[in-house]
Amino acid sequence: MNKSLFNLASVTSSTSRRMTLTVLATAVYALALSGCDSPKPVERNATKYELVTTDDANEDIGTYVLPQDTSILNEPNAEQIFYGKRLLNETKRLLPEHVGAAMNCNSCHISQGKIPLGDPYINSYNFYPRVMPRSGKEVDLEGRINGCFMRSMNGKPLPRESEEMQAMVAYMKWLSQSTPKNQKVAISNAGEVDTSLVADTARGEQIYYAQCATCHGDNGEGMKDSRGDIVFPPLWGDESFNIGAGMARTYKAAAFVKYNMPMGIQTKGLWGHGNVLTDQDAVDVSEFFAHKPRPDFPGKVNDWPTGNKPKDARY
Amino acid sequence: MKKWPRIIIIAGAVGLALAFALGQLLPNLRTKTSGIEVDITDAQLIKKGEYIARTADCIACHTVLGDEDFAGGLPMLTPLGAIYSTNITPDKETGIGNYSFDDFNNATKHGVRKDKSALYPAMPYPSYQIMPDEDVAAMYAYFMSGVKAVKQANKTSELPPVLNWRWPLAYWQAIFAPERTFVPETDDPVLTRGQYLVEGPGHCGSCHTERGIGFQEVALSNADSEQYLSGAVIDGWRAKSLRGEHRGLGTWSTAELVDFFKTGRTDITAAFGAMAEVVEDSTQYMTEEDLYAMSAYLKTLSPTPGEPVTIVAKEDVTTQKLLDGVYDSRGSILYAEYCQICHRADGKGVPRIFPALEGNSAVYSRDADSVLQITLSGGRMPDTPHDRMAFTMPEFINLSDADIAEVVNYIRNSWTNSASKIDIDDVVQMRHFLSKKPKTATDVAPDLSITAAVQGANRE
Repeated sequence: MNKSLFNLASVTSSTSRRMTLTVLATAVYALALSGCDSPKPVERNATKYELVTTDDANEDIGTYVLPQDTSILNEPNAEQIFYGKRLLNETKRLLPEHVGAAMNCNSCHISQGKIPLGDPYINSYNFYPRVMPRSGKEVDLEGRINGCFMRSMNGKPLPRESEEMQAMVAYMKWLSQSTPKNQKVAISNAGEVDTSLVADTARGEQIYYAQCATCHGDNGEGMKDSRGDIVFPPLWGDESFNIGAGMARTYKAAAFVKYNMPMGIQTKGLWGHGNVLTDQDAVDVSEFFAHKPRPDFPGKVNDWPTGNKPKDARY
Repeated sequence: MKKWPRIIIIAGAVGLALAFALGQLLPNLRTKTSGIEVDITDAQLIKKGEYIARTADCIACHTVLGDEDFAGGLPMLTPLGAIYSTNITPDKETGIGNYSFDDFNNATKHGVRKDKSALYPAMPYPSYQIMPDEDVAAMYAYFMSGVKAVKQANKTSELPPVLNWRWPLAYWQAIFAPERTFVPETDDPVLTRGQYLVEGPGHCGSCHTERGIGFQEVALSNADSEQYLSGAVIDGWRAKSLRGEHRGLGTWSTAELVDFFKTGRTDITAAFGAMAEVVEDSTQYMTEEDLYAMSAYLKTLSPTPGEPVTIVAKEDVTTQKLLDGVYDSRGSILYAEYCQICHRADGKGVPRIFPALEGNSAVYSRDADSVLQITLSGGRMPDTPHDRMAFTMPEFINLSDADIAEVVNYIRNSWTNSASKIDIDDVVQMRHFLSKKPKTATDVAPDLSITAAVQGANRE
């Protein structure tokens, strides 16, 4: 054995070399042994949810497997689905004429609408058309999407037959994974918060500056990248969602915040998101930002025509 | 002829007996009697010792997550079984309460316990050896008077019989950790201080210098060889090269290094894994002067021989493709689904929140281990008072091994990056390794409860 291999000082002896050899031989042997039960590659551990019938009879009818975007390639309209996904992710950049706020659809529909309690699109394709309490009439999926354009994104509706609208619908259809119309995936779109809690705005402000402002800004202005594209949406001010958005309502916002915010603070979950606030924390901080100045919603006069206005409605 | 086996057996037995006897003697040759009297009640000395213990990062290995400081018990995985760090609190029964200063000095600098047996080289005494006795005396005062005594028995190693004998370690020490003194490379006092901190208490080489055939660091100083701090793989992390080549610290400025040591982040990168712990436990507490000295010294290290000094940046075609939705590889589809929201289309991340992948020397480092490990297991950046929040990377453990390889290769070879490719077996091996690896503080999410934030948890 070559001396230089060891970076040797002059104190070596034949005995020590023999010992080193023994240790080496044993190590090699142990390594060889450990190589015998070599592990095999694993396949994707896809998230799965139960399917239930829409009347909640809860029959054992099957399982929904959350698809990965790579499987879009198997669809005949793959290009359309990818376009829809991009529009939902980067709505402001791709549809500036229709988006007034510095918001994207997926600012709220986290992780491309694939996360329960994070406003997922998983059931959207089958859920509409449906009579909605806010409008008091039947709304279809295109109508619902346009609701977001006018409220949360403080912009203008898209033509229903437009390539863009149809692409977004195609993405949601793909995400439904051919779930039959009378079935749904057994997940909740939003989490629960205790709506009997009374908000403490001063405490909410404290929470905001400790845990939200790093990303959403000390003045609620959000953050853009060097290209001017949205990284974190503004929570108040002219570029934020208008008062007609669900997020402008304290308890709706709290249910989102509690389960989805902040992002990048857990080592679990696709966004490493949520679950650090108590119900009271979430209500306090949501009251704080939701009631900051933000654009008006002209269509507000038509909302809740039959009454039953929720207690946190802004008008 | 028939007598040969017997002669071999006898010779072997005699040889072993001799080796054993000499192995008992060797540690005695390393120990020193200093005659130094340490006043362990001297408040200033204790304070000085606390700072030196920070620079030496004793806490990182001698504390288990969620347990008492310095009570030991952290497993260090070796291919042959775990060994455990020891209780170094002043508890007289289970800790080092009965250690005299000389005992403490001999253990810290020479790797010899009070009972004169050799310590495993997991303890970086080959680095600590250059620390002046006065500094070790201050640490002694701190450990005797500033650290809470904790009664917690040391765990025995899981090494198999024979291999768990300690006396052969005396030979290891004699060969691989010979007595050495600190030799400054220059007359410059700042660079000398930096060199001392890096080479001595900071024991940067423990992770960043390649290990040799006997698990020894192949160089303990820059004077030894240019392999010093040229990067190594440890605990499934690529501890990057700290030398002057492109994949080392070639692209870093001194100011960026200071920022990194102080806060655990720069505008383009963030410490993760073992280095996140180093920042959180050690460097964030160091003075600006010391951080500058270390950074300035590291920037004097020449490029590792054989490694490219500069790598011509590839033309970035990735950003535009991602913005245009041109997904021309499986890796790009995976990136767009799982990574782009934080690390962005241009791969530049968000300064101090989400590290850049483009132009980040930890990403295109020679080995992909770090990118691979953090993709599979996630992690957290250091939490320091400088930034309001410390962010995490979530684990992507549910992706297939094939897809993990795709996305890691995509990240390391997109934008201006170019690096070696990994294959599915690398992912399989890493997943297997991670299934056994113990969790550390930066593997878990920070305490973000409002009470903790107001009280300053994680922000002492």
